[in-house]
Amino acid sequence: MDLRARIEKASGYIKEKSGFEPEIGIILGTGLGSLGDHIEKVSVIDYSDIPEFPVSTVFGHAGRLILGYLEGKKVAAMQGRFHYYEGYSMQEVTMPVRVMKQLGIKLLIASNACGGLNPNFNAGDIMVITDHINFMGTNPLIGPNLEEFGPRFPDMSEVYEREMVEALEKTAASQGIKVHRGVYGAVSGPNYCTKAELRMMIKLGSDTVGMSTVPEAIVARHCGIKVAGVSCITDMAIPDTMIPPTHEEIVRVAESVKPRFVSLVKGFVKEVQI
Amino acid sequence: MKKDMMSRVNEARDYILSKVENAPEIALILGSGLGDMAEEAENKKVIEYTDIPNFPVSTVQGHKGRLVFGTLRGRRVIFMQGRFHYYEGYRMEDVVFPVWAFKALGVNKLIVTNAAGGVNTSFKPGDLMLIKDHINYTANNPLIGPNIEEFGPRFPDMSEAYSKEMSDVVRACAIENGIRMQEGTYIFFTGPSYETPAEIRACRILGADAVGMSTVPEVVAANHSGIKTAGISCITNMAAGILDQPLNHREVMETAEKVKESFSKLIKNVVERI
Repeated sequence: MDLRARIEKASGYIKEKSGFEPEIGIILGTGLGSLGDHIEKVSVIDYSDIPEFPVSTVFGHAGRLILGYLEGKKVAAMQGRFHYYEGYSMQEVTMPVRVMKQLGIKLLIASNACGGLNPNFNAGDIMVITDHINFMGTNPLIGPNLEEFGPRFPDMSEVYEREMVEALEKTAASQGIKVHRGVYGAVSGPNYCTKAELRMMIKLGSDTVGMSTVPEAIVARHCGIKVAGVSCITDMAIPDTMIPPTHEEIVRVAESVKPRFVSLVKGFVKEVQI
Repeated sequence: MKKDMMSRVNEARDYILSKVENAPEIALILGSGLGDMAEEAENKKVIEYTDIPNFPVSTVQGHKGRLVFGTLRGRRVIFMQGRFHYYEGYRMEDVVFPVWAFKALGVNKLIVTNAAGGVNTSFKPGDLMLIKDHINYTANNPLIGPNIEEFGPRFPDMSEAYSKEMSDVVRACAIENGIRMQEGTYIFFTGPSYETPAEIRACRILGADAVGMSTVPEVVAANHSGIKTAGISCITNMAAGILDQPLNHREVMETAEKVKESFSKLIKNVVERI
């Protein structure tokens, strides 16, 4: 089935099942799914029930779409995302964004867990994404253009809208949460980067490194959805000083960031003007 | 698969030779908005891509999709009006198929042009840039797969991808015609989304002067098969983050339109002298 038809089928099913029209989409990164607990739920749909939707395979990703109210705003939250390294095509990785576009979202909040490359950062810090570098070697828009979604050559000069960056910072400040600003670098994974690769990314201007977010952000901008990006730094990846973290350590750090992440996103959703 | 490729190339060649009397010696691949100068060839013979066996078909607005044979300043030339871009979803071997067909037709010199974004901040929209070298930022290469021994070696040298001799001719012709000519390195991104400002800063650190979504596959294939190449970029816009404004395809086409005349003068002169 062609991509257009798949998007229509999936969004049609969700509309029919929930009768809900979200205005904000939220993609919850690894270990950050618990934000879903704070949503006053209207409908919860397993990805496996949505026709034509890819199915999440990663441990720790619940794989369901939560539709409901967060701080009075209508949201669609993805618990679990599709990663390129799992073997999905880029069209599949980004299909949920286009499905949410069809549901009516105007703003996408994309979150992730990632490694820190900037010496001013620490494990457990939160970074507001100001821009990205695509190190994945491919692009989700390769192929025939879906004209009804956006132009052949979409501009990417302000993927993460300045107003959204400032609104996130303002919310963080009002809650006493320290946040950094920075550039997110996306690699395909699934192996972690070598030290030489990390050095290269630092030299090229990346403040963090991760394996997601960029494809979704590109596709969101293509179809005119505003994007706000939040990274949770679960480990530091500065090559000459790094100690490879254990999985337990990453889980521990992610746990410690979670309350601040939840509070930041809730506060932002409450205040944001769409 | 590629054993089959040789016969596919030969089928295309045989068809073309059944339509044109004299095999061309120089091929020109003209970029976005620069295709018009093919009209200036004498004794023209036009072949639509759709009529050539095994030829891919161009889909981009502003790209015509045909081969124009003729003589220009007494030289037998073949113009490619409209090229195949990787971002359209073609395989790399389809992107460079025309170059292989040119080789089979006996072409030994190639002039490639493109519309590119200025990464070097001393450039201005409307400048022409002689391509001295390139960087392949995509994670793909048109020569991946079984080697076509008839065309060239398994591991082709790229230390002079852009012929010094031909580049000297381009320089001399630019001076004679009073055309301001920059020089620099072209970096190839997949597109189709334009780059982010963070990516453009990375390009600058990597040593690139202009960024675009074409040319590199064709030049790699041409060098592999022993075709001498010269490349010229038309800087149609400044890359993301240099000016505080979004990028769009209209601007690219408008700038290309403005330089068309001096560009055509230059190319004719180069064809005459190489």
